[in-house]
Amino acid sequence: MPELTSRRGLLFGTAAVSAGVLLTGCTSNDSSDEPAANDQPAADDKPGKQVTIGFAGPQADHGWLNAINDNAKNRAKKYKDVTLEITEGSNDTAAQIGQIETLINKKVDVLVVLPADGKALTQVGLQAMRAGIPVINLDRIFNSPQAYRCWIGGDNYGMGLSAGHYIGEKLKDKKNARVIELAGLDNLELTQQRTDGFDAALKNYPNIKKVARQAAEFTVESGQAKMSQLLQAQSKFDALWNHDDDQGVGALRAIKQAGRDDFLMVGGAGALSAFQAIESDDSVLKATVLYPPTMAASAIDLARALGQSKGVGGLAEFEIPASLTLYSAVVDKDNVKQYMSTGFK
Amino acid sequence: MTQPVSPPRDDTPKLSPQAEPGSWRTVAARADVRTLSLLGVLAALILIGGITKPEEFLDTRNLQLVLTQASVIGVVTVGMTFVITSGGIDLSVGAIVALASVWATTVATQEYGFAGVLFTAVLVGVGCGLVNGMLIAYGAMVPFIATLAMLASARGLALQITDGKTQIVSIEGILELGERDSYVLGVPPLVMVFAVVTIIGWLVLNRTTFGRRTVAVGGNAEAARLAGIDVRRQRLYLYLLSGLCCGIAAFLLIVLSGSGQNTNGNLYELDAIAAAIIGGTLLSGGRGTITGSVLGVLIFTTITNIFALNNLQSDVQQIAKGAIIVAAVLVQRRTASTT
Amino acid sequence: MAPEPPLLTMSGITKSFPGVRALDGVDLDVLSGEVHCLLGQNGAGKSTLIKVLAGAHQPDDGTIGWRGEQVTLRSPIAAMRLGIATIYQELDLVEGLSVAENVYLGHELTTAGFVVRGKDARTATAALLKRLGHPEIDPARRVGELSAAQQQIVSMARALSHDVRLIVMDEPSAALDPDEVDNLFRIVGDLTAEGVAVVYISHRLEEIRRIGDRVTVLKDGRAVAGGLPAKSTPTREVVALMTGRNVEYVFPERPTLRDLPDPVLEVRGLARDGEFAPLDLTLRPGEIVGLAGLVGSGRSEILETVYGARRPSAGEVLVDGRRLKPGSVRAAVRAGLGLAPEERKAQALLMLESVTRNVSVSSMSRFSYAGWLDRSAERDAARKATRELSLRPDNPSAPVRTLSGGNQQKAVLARWLLRGCRVLLLDEPTRGVDVGARAELYAVIRRLADDGLAVLMVSSEVPEVLGLADRVLVLREGHVVHTAPAQELDEHRVLDLVMEGSPAS
Repeated sequence: MPELTSRRGLLFGTAAVSAGVLLTGCTSNDSSDEPAANDQPAADDKPGKQVTIGFAGPQADHGWLNAINDNAKNRAKKYKDVTLEITEGSNDTAAQIGQIETLINKKVDVLVVLPADGKALTQVGLQAMRAGIPVINLDRIFNSPQAYRCWIGGDNYGMGLSAGHYIGEKLKDKKNARVIELAGLDNLELTQQRTDGFDAALKNYPNIKKVARQAAEFTVESGQAKMSQLLQAQSKFDALWNHDDDQGVGALRAIKQAGRDDFLMVGGAGALSAFQAIESDDSVLKATVLYPPTMAASAIDLARALGQSKGVGGLAEFEIPASLTLYSAVVDKDNVKQYMSTGFK
Repeated sequence: MTQPVSPPRDDTPKLSPQAEPGSWRTVAARADVRTLSLLGVLAALILIGGITKPEEFLDTRNLQLVLTQASVIGVVTVGMTFVITSGGIDLSVGAIVALASVWATTVATQEYGFAGVLFTAVLVGVGCGLVNGMLIAYGAMVPFIATLAMLASARGLALQITDGKTQIVSIEGILELGERDSYVLGVPPLVMVFAVVTIIGWLVLNRTTFGRRTVAVGGNAEAARLAGIDVRRQRLYLYLLSGLCCGIAAFLLIVLSGSGQNTNGNLYELDAIAAAIIGGTLLSGGRGTITGSVLGVLIFTTITNIFALNNLQSDVQQIAKGAIIVAAVLVQRRTASTT
Repeated sequence: MAPEPPLLTMSGITKSFPGVRALDGVDLDVLSGEVHCLLGQNGAGKSTLIKVLAGAHQPDDGTIGWRGEQVTLRSPIAAMRLGIATIYQELDLVEGLSVAENVYLGHELTTAGFVVRGKDARTATAALLKRLGHPEIDPARRVGELSAAQQQIVSMARALSHDVRLIVMDEPSAALDPDEVDNLFRIVGDLTAEGVAVVYISHRLEEIRRIGDRVTVLKDGRAVAGGLPAKSTPTREVVALMTGRNVEYVFPERPTLRDLPDPVLEVRGLARDGEFAPLDLTLRPGEIVGLAGLVGSGRSEILETVYGARRPSAGEVLVDGRRLKPGSVRAAVRAGLGLAPEERKAQALLMLESVTRNVSVSSMSRFSYAGWLDRSAERDAARKATRELSLRPDNPSAPVRTLSGGNQQKAVLARWLLRGCRVLLLDEPTRGVDVGARAELYAVIRRLADDGLAVLMVSSEVPEVLGLADRVLVLREGHVVHTAPAQELDEHRVLDLVMEGSPAS
């Protein structure tokens, strides 16, 4: 809002404040707000040389991105020898470039970057590498391998594969099984990768046919809207894969509203609400495939290892790998307890 | 050069010599033609839906579905219609819906139960509308800019409240409202709210001094001022009204989705403006139709429904939406100029 | 004059807009190398005529001859191609572009048809500006940074950048200082010496004397005089042509002297800086008071300030002895004032709406209960008011835009009649009203006064004020120079008063 200094401005201010006072009682959001995190011990807990890690991510306007920030912060806190310089998240490429340049000028030891747009931030990645600061590229990949020392991220195609295989195994004895897909935002390449993986996995099961696909927008609202249409369009089907647990909240709502329970649903990403639903086993949601935000914690581990010139524990190499693609594990009732703490809101 | 002229008996206008009984019917007919052309589009869509997916489309449940999905944006569009009729624009509706829906679903608000959530949603909507109205009416800001600023701030505040997290609603009374058991004679409560808002909106626009002033301000603000209408106060009320509609819509969205999220109401401003314009409300102000707006919303929702039932993907849906906006406006311009 | 045919011959030009006939068979001929002045009051049809000449409006009837051949000016570009350039009063420059870019806008100097030769344009522009006596204007500067006078020069440079034979200047001196006016006249002299014709529009008679060759006077969409010698025609004759009547109207009879009740409206020391000096005025029910004066005398400003549409810098307005909140139209309307403004379409009417809604807009609370409109009561009341004024057609649902000018004015009057207004402020009540319909409007106004309304009217037509008003205030440059009963004045006396002290009289 523009600043107003006139008498009228004061008037607006008062109006806004009085509206605010009525509502402040309702804004606080504390509810035992534990961050989603993985308690696995770090690769090498022995304290070493002090390392300053610069962390730049996009604006946390989505539960998963919020979990990324929490994971990074909490992981860094675990190490006495790590100082984390975290920037205000931004979706504006220019702003993010500026933030990373500031971190470069501060001469941090290692940079962890989750770019708002991987391609657009390649140059600043190169710049950091040239300045002698190794870059851990998180999830959204830069254009050039020269712009990062190590890439770590999720596997969208693999997510589709995992979901497809899980559903395939569940339905393999069913004749003419029908499967539908509630995809994420179609404008994003990752949505297409997830769908491709899903289709590829289903090819292994000739008895299964994907009968419908609609794209939502990763939001609860769109999940509800598109799922309710899908349910109306398909009066009978056996399984549903939903790309994203956030929009899954809306999808589950639509399923409940339509009073349907005649199929099995698999989610995606690994939200806390999805884990809880899987654990209590009282809805159609039976499993979800991970796109784990714990990758941010691992990125901190890798950054620390880089800063202290260590390798990754459990691997034979002296150096950390150049790229790490995370496995999209399937979480169902059997193993959900183990993952509960990594679930994000 | 000078010649005496006696006072003439009358001076019937040269332009419409036989205007006497005809022109009233022309006005009525024109309004009807506009509505009829929209009904025609809707009928054509229903035909397409009925042919392509007879079983799924022509079904009570589908009717309930379409109307339910139309309710949230429909209520927003009613408010938007008033604002556009007055010659203004409200770009902040989607952001206000988002802010109201997250403010009303925080853990703290939910402690106050059903009434707390409803009250907060409406109050936040009205509050944002008040700020818009004050800036535009008394701060002399251009509506486009003032509501654009509100769009940015409300979205920002919504993000700040949620941290990007989805706020699940746990109040049974609210959740039940969105479910089948609370349908009355087959009518979902959300649709009832939409219907009531539509009827009240129609009556206010067509049968009250408030509606008349809205049209006057939009048609000619200077003439309205010189006729003794308090133009600024009217503008304030109009943005308040739009905010109120957003608050109600936010509550409907909470009921529908069982949650609050800062991404709610994405691009509602464009959907609402598009529905109002294809409905026949003049973007320049001075003429507005609630019936047309609601038909516009129903046309869009029906298209989405037919496309989803036929499993067509979002790229095709978006192209078709654009084409329909252009077609509807062209058809209307033609009917408006030939009658 | 040389025997060669006129450069431009417009004959019988007619142009109607919904509700009004703006031009009614106008003739105009312009010779090469002359300054032809076009005179007329606001609304006389000057702007419409020059828009026809610029190709912006298409005439309904009439012919245009150009260097002996009949032509059709289909678009501004067509007119431009013939060599007709127009410099409008509201300058049509693009503020964000540079001087040179503006000058060559639409006919850029290009290589291969699309590569703009910016440097050549700047050089050529500099030459044009030098010719216009303003070499100090930098062709590379943004037009938005220039003064109004400089912008006018740029506009003129743009006209000259074409191969121009006729330049139309619409009140070019309105925004200029005396020095700048001198320069303008020098430029006009240079142009005519080169054989270019200038059509010069102005309200200032003394300017016309200085540079004009011939004068055409427009009034009510007709040319009431054409080709008068600019230097030798007496000013009074010119003013009489502009403000007088070419037809004699039957004005309603004034009631015989009565004992008028106490004043309903009192204006005390009302003033607006730069517009009009402190004014005192009382108005009694049943009385019509007229303000006579030329354009720029402050007539309309006075009405709008009394009405609260403009905030006074001093003074007060009282209705029934109670002071009105200054600058508040709503307070004025509530106290019983009503204004029929000069620009009916822009300031009074809701053009998309019906007659009923236009009439009832100021009295809606009368037909509403808690905001709920009783539409049949509204329609009946509006119909009663419009019938009382014999508005035609007698159809409350007719869209107001289909009405003639006179009936549109009646709709505005009906609005205030319905409101029960007690003081009616009429600004140019017969502007845009067809000549034939005026007498009826006069009768209506007189009848309203007889029914107890107090009327304050402004007109640029002296006979109208003298014929209709009981009492007349003569205005010159914002000052009341004379007050008298209308019977004690005649047209000549008023003309002398409004022009008194002007150099040419």
